[in-house]
Amino acid sequence: MGAVLVAGIQILPVVASREAEIEDAAFVLLTVLSVPVLMFVVVGLAYSAIRFRANGDEEDGPPIHGHRGFQAIWLVVSFALVIGLFVYGALGLVDIRGAQESEFQVQVQAEQWAWKFEYPSGVVAKELHIPVGERVHLVVTSKDVIHSFWVPAFGIKQDAVPGRPTQIYVTATVAGTYPGLCAELCGSGHTGMHLTVVVSERAELDAWLSDQPGPESSGSEPPA
Amino acid sequence: MSVRRPGLRRALLGAAIGGAVGAGVLIGAQNAGMQIRDGQILGLAYLLALIGFLLGIGAFRFWVTWAAGRPVDVTEEHAAHGTAGDWRRYFRFTTDHKVIGVQYLVSAFLLFLTAGTFGMLMRVELAQPGLALGEDAYNTIMSTHGAMMITVALISIIGGLGNFLVPIMIGARDMAFPKTNALSYWLLPLPILLVAINPLLGGFDTGWTAYPPLSQQANLGQQAYLMAFVTVGISSILSAINFLVTVFRMRAPGMSLMRMPIFVWSLTVTATLALVATSVVAGAFTMLLFDRVLGTSFFRPSRGGDVVLFEHLFWFYSHPAVYIMGLPGLGAILEVVPVFARKPLFAYPLAVLSFIAIGVLSFMVWAHHMFVSGMADFFHIPIMLTTELISVPTGIVFLAALGTIWMGKLHFKTPMLWVFGFIWAFLIGGITGVYLADVPTDITLSDTYFVVAHFHYTIVGGTIFGLFAGTYYWFPKVTGRMYSERLGQLHFWWFMLAFNATFLPMFWLGIEGMRRRVADYPSEMGGVNLWVSFAAFNIFLSMAVFVFNMVRSWRRGEQAAANPWRAKTLEWQVASPPPVQNFDHIPTVSAGPYEYGGGAGVPTEGRAVP
Repeated sequence: MGAVLVAGIQILPVVASREAEIEDAAFVLLTVLSVPVLMFVVVGLAYSAIRFRANGDEEDGPPIHGHRGFQAIWLVVSFALVIGLFVYGALGLVDIRGAQESEFQVQVQAEQWAWKFEYPSGVVAKELHIPVGERVHLVVTSKDVIHSFWVPAFGIKQDAVPGRPTQIYVTATVAGTYPGLCAELCGSGHTGMHLTVVVSERAELDAWLSDQPGPESSGSEPPA
Repeated sequence: MSVRRPGLRRALLGAAIGGAVGAGVLIGAQNAGMQIRDGQILGLAYLLALIGFLLGIGAFRFWVTWAAGRPVDVTEEHAAHGTAGDWRRYFRFTTDHKVIGVQYLVSAFLLFLTAGTFGMLMRVELAQPGLALGEDAYNTIMSTHGAMMITVALISIIGGLGNFLVPIMIGARDMAFPKTNALSYWLLPLPILLVAINPLLGGFDTGWTAYPPLSQQANLGQQAYLMAFVTVGISSILSAINFLVTVFRMRAPGMSLMRMPIFVWSLTVTATLALVATSVVAGAFTMLLFDRVLGTSFFRPSRGGDVVLFEHLFWFYSHPAVYIMGLPGLGAILEVVPVFARKPLFAYPLAVLSFIAIGVLSFMVWAHHMFVSGMADFFHIPIMLTTELISVPTGIVFLAALGTIWMGKLHFKTPMLWVFGFIWAFLIGGITGVYLADVPTDITLSDTYFVVAHFHYTIVGGTIFGLFAGTYYWFPKVTGRMYSERLGQLHFWWFMLAFNATFLPMFWLGIEGMRRRVADYPSEMGGVNLWVSFAAFNIFLSMAVFVFNMVRSWRRGEQAAANPWRAKTLEWQVASPPPVQNFDHIPTVSAGPYEYGGGAGVPTEGRAVP
């Protein structure tokens, strides 16, 4: 029943990367599994509330202390669900984090309260531009406190930790401009700590990169 | 009450003197040209104020007498136990567990209302896009709301209902260490006050998680929070030891472990968790305090410190802490179900086992708070497994509740309504927890309103619903009077509807990408947020019904019989309220606690049943 309801439905508002596709599929599966569990308890509860209401007498219910068969079924079903979910989640995780090779690397540096991106050519910019359909590697660092690099449309989120670079691998699938934000409370400017990601064809990206001022003229130190 | 006798007035004087001495010495040194930071002044002033407060309230006088080898004044020790009907014992260092229980419970509800007020201020800021109070003010309000609510969830059931009921439920005259028990309560007022006034010290903007380096650069209010949290931790450890010794050493004859009421079992596991886990966070916070006050670098990345280590230490406590908050609620719920379903608790041994399993597993799941923290990739896998596994024993709580309700004779008194509310809310919390345990979906949901909605459904749905169920259920026992059933039901329905109207839409907000801990959001989310604020104000209003009902019923409610619910556990076999010594004769227990439907049941007080 749940399957019919959600088949073909996208739960995440924007899906523009391979990673977001995997996550959206996980959302759909979990929702399909949740509906019967929810219905089982809610219907059972509602039925009991009507059917087993005491009608003013002082009588007790039957002295039932348990039911071995039912308890066993309950345990087996919940174990099976958990193991199934775990295997599915682990496969998804390997899918998202597994392939750690890339064709394009960008250094992402967070500070209170702005983002900075350094490209392989040495160009430093305030916007993230990446090629569509290619595996991109982002090395995330922070200059001061913990931030978190999040682009909702890509389904990627990774803390920027001072003193400890973190890695993101992402393959954008749809060209366009996407908002990103800091997801870890980082002080009074946290609310406004946004960024912009532009996904374009490689040729367009190269043209944009060559239009940028060189590393010397950007006037900022290289990322830690 | 004069300052010449131990008491609240002398305690306040002691705190004032201690604070003045601590601050005075360091300010003097500062004026003499020494390099003294404001944090160091606050630290010493707080430490001495706390000691002065405890000395003034009389926390150490019996131990000092004993240590000095002087004879203990028996009449004075007896007086410290309190006299029935004397309201002043609630404001003293009273060692009666029932007095301490009421102290905890009333303090917890006052703190709940204060923290709720901070929550309302949050919803004022968030009602409309744009800034009303400002980002800094919002961060402080949000952090204070969180810190206080965490404290409520930690102390209300175990400290309040637990202290009052556990000794009676197992057939004992008091806790094992009555003076330690009073000490663990009187450790709390000063730190709680300190958190309440943190906005005057500049506030703190890290949330209750206090992640460095942000918490290292934040204001003095941050340090106030850290010191307060460590103090609450000490209180928590003392109380945990007390509960464990009481449960394992003080049970009446015949009260075997498998005849203990499920509520006592839940608190036993809770106390074990609190004992083992709390020292870890107290250590981490102390290291963080040292970083701030003494210039160490445990968590200072610029000098080789590691901030991810702090996250590990913090969550190694704070995830078990979720169960320290949750288990007493589950225990209270399962205690109430059999009474109002008139049926034995379904699968009692399995429920006990599940509490123990939750306790063990809760130490192996902490890193699911850190799926996007940058910890090693491989570590996600075992943590995801253990996190999902813990849903099996948690599910058994539903099995026990539903199994008891099935074929029962249901009486929908207020406590039972909260049980039904709990099953709904905790189920939503559990199901959405799976989305957060699953790494692929958690990457998107982490740090969004989905998380906010989830933990309100689990902590309010589990702990606070359990607290309400327990408070209504045991109100006649604690006060000797009945609450108003009509007002109780009004409170339940109003709270329940408002609670769901507030937190259900937050799941949607989170999926749409609204971050938690922000003062502003995209304007297209304005409509939903306005609705949420409106609903949240209704939660607050419904609490007025609760407060009115409690205060009025306590003063003028109908006299309660010893056992108005026809329950079988021991606390209902003594008078309401129980006499100071609980039992004239220690009872002998000859049956389990839930023998409904023709079982033997526990004996009435003092009568040994063969």
